[in-house]
Amino acid sequence: MPTLSVDRVHKAYGDTKAVHDVSFSAAPGRILGLLGPNGAGKTSTLRMITHITQPDSGAVRYDERPVGPWSQRRMGYLPEERGLYPDLRVKEQLVYLGQLKGLSADAATERVHHWLERFEALDWVDKKTEELSKGMQQKVQFIATLLHDPQLLIFDEPFSGLDPINSDVLRDIILELRRTDRTILFASHRMEQVEQLCDDICLMANGQVVLKGDLREVKQRFGTNTVIVRFDGSDAFIDDLESEGAVRVHARSAHRAEMRLLNDTPARRVLQAALDTVDELHHFERTEPPLSEIFVEVVGEANAAQAAAS
Amino acid sequence: MHPIWIILKSEFWRRVRSKAFVLATLLAPIGIVALFALPGLLTFFAADSGDEPPVAVVDATEQLLPHLQEQSSSFTFVQSNTNQEALADSVRAEVYSGYLVLPETLLQGEGTASFYRSSGGGLGTQNRIQNVVERAVRDVRLANEDVPDAVESILAASPSLEMRRITEQGDQADATLIYSAIGYMLAFVIYFAVFIYGQYVMQGVIAEKSSRVVEIVVSSVRPFELLMGKVLGIGAMGLVQMVTWGALVSGALAVAGPIFMLFMDPSAYDIAPDASQEAALEAAGITIPSLPLSLLVWTLLFFVAGYLLYASLFAAVGSAVERVQDAQSLMYPVFIPLLIPLLVIGVVIEAPNGTLSTVLSFIPFFAPILMVLRSALTDVAFWQLALSWLLVMATFVGTIWVASRIYRVGIFMYGKPPSLRELIRWARYRP
Repeated sequence: MPTLSVDRVHKAYGDTKAVHDVSFSAAPGRILGLLGPNGAGKTSTLRMITHITQPDSGAVRYDERPVGPWSQRRMGYLPEERGLYPDLRVKEQLVYLGQLKGLSADAATERVHHWLERFEALDWVDKKTEELSKGMQQKVQFIATLLHDPQLLIFDEPFSGLDPINSDVLRDIILELRRTDRTILFASHRMEQVEQLCDDICLMANGQVVLKGDLREVKQRFGTNTVIVRFDGSDAFIDDLESEGAVRVHARSAHRAEMRLLNDTPARRVLQAALDTVDELHHFERTEPPLSEIFVEVVGEANAAQAAAS
Repeated sequence: MHPIWIILKSEFWRRVRSKAFVLATLLAPIGIVALFALPGLLTFFAADSGDEPPVAVVDATEQLLPHLQEQSSSFTFVQSNTNQEALADSVRAEVYSGYLVLPETLLQGEGTASFYRSSGGGLGTQNRIQNVVERAVRDVRLANEDVPDAVESILAASPSLEMRRITEQGDQADATLIYSAIGYMLAFVIYFAVFIYGQYVMQGVIAEKSSRVVEIVVSSVRPFELLMGKVLGIGAMGLVQMVTWGALVSGALAVAGPIFMLFMDPSAYDIAPDASQEAALEAAGITIPSLPLSLLVWTLLFFVAGYLLYASLFAAVGSAVERVQDAQSLMYPVFIPLLIPLLVIGVVIEAPNGTLSTVLSFIPFFAPILMVLRSALTDVAFWQLALSWLLVMATFVGTIWVASRIYRVGIFMYGKPPSLRELIRWARYRP
């Protein structure tokens, strides 16, 4: 089964170290989430995987061979910054992009029809791309990524700009691709999507990998130190707990709070405080921290380490 | 299919099928002819001064005025005996366009004639008045001295010079002037074509970058292949346009002779009614230039080489910016070498085989314009043309290599447009 592996990769642009000693691998039939704040080196890494640029040292391999024009043909890439030729008609645009991936004009035409049908967009065939709405253009872009039936898929923020219905269509297709043993790389800031979709994660900050592994294992590593409460009535107990340093609140609304237990505070301490003040308690759960919290914490540590080093 | 070929075809078709392209291809020759004919037409109309008020002449010699009137068709001279102040007022009131004072001493070969006019009139007027006065004075003096008629006619004659060019078959009317004009025109055609198609390439690169589609494309093909396909595709479009124009112009020249014959009256030129077209045209003093096939072929070859050379540089500039406006300052280093040949056209026309002309026509950045100009003017040895062309192509290999290195970095650079120095540094980056 073809695996993508990034092995001790370095990349600098002038004096800027964009990627520093990055290694990870992505297996078929799984979705790898590549996470990180802006400037973490995600796009630079993706560009080396897609063979747009080459690493200064280290290697990117797919199916145990260094990536190159051969792997570009087996790979579909959806960049974060979407782009199409505004003056080309949808069909011509897609057939052209398909031909660049090595499809014959006939094969490309056939697949364009298949995918436009799938997205219920056959009426657009002869529309100029610039006449389409943003959401429609996104679909066309997505078709361009899938047209040549790639084995390796790289999505950079695929859901940005999609309405909920199209997001669902896209998510279904990504999950279907996973079922057919494609290797999928998914870069995003949107943690709830990463939690929903990904099997593995790789978190980058300042050009380095700061955390990686199976999503479930990673979460367990951070322990079940998070408490979620749903209630009616006064939420004064939360302020009390926070002011005495027992918890740190992650997310809070009128009837729900998510907090992290500090200094070995037992969960029952929170339950007790809540029962004392609320009118009704609907839900109490002790669980793993949400990915967004892990993200904030790990990146915060990485930044602090970086600041201390320089 | 090779990616370069796929890109070439797409770039070519999406431009060639546009209405703008079809119109430009068919209408540009008309525009070019108009452009070249316009200065001539304007001069023609400007010289026509039939409506101008007459020129008053204060003739102290009392002999010159009839000769002036006889000499000139473009001025109307009238006798006047009023004083100069009154005449000046008349000129201001536009009764006269000016007045001419001819002192008696003119006929002794001394003194100065004075022409008073309100502002304007230009150099043309000065030359024409000067000529008319000069001839009138000469005629009157010759008549007064009782010079024999023979001498008079000797002085009046101005021998004409006919230029003929020796060819393989004998000789023919020399058309240096016409070939200068053709050379001049071809030089400008190459300049404009290289510049305009180069701009197409630059705009194409900028559009691909600012629409961000370039990232999709270079995840499928090498940046060099994209650059090359684009340059060749737009070049193919340019070639189609140039060949069409060449065919239209050659066609027009081929039918110009027969059309002229239809409207020509042989008796007016004192030739036999059944004279050949060639003889008739020669008698009428009309030369229809025949464009030698080799000149057309070399023009196309040098256009292609010059286009490739400059288009690769325009592409590098385009890759560095997101908007056409930002390209201005980076364009000078590309634009200036293209402009220099136009500044030395005069030098080359004077002496197409001179050392300076020859040397300049071997410099790759100047060769496309100057070699075509030279070969329009004179017979340039085949080895010179071939060597110069090969030098341009060799330079193109160098520029496309540098350009593609700048290009593959530039297409991912967004934000502030870079300086020229940064652009050169990019060429040394590892991809």
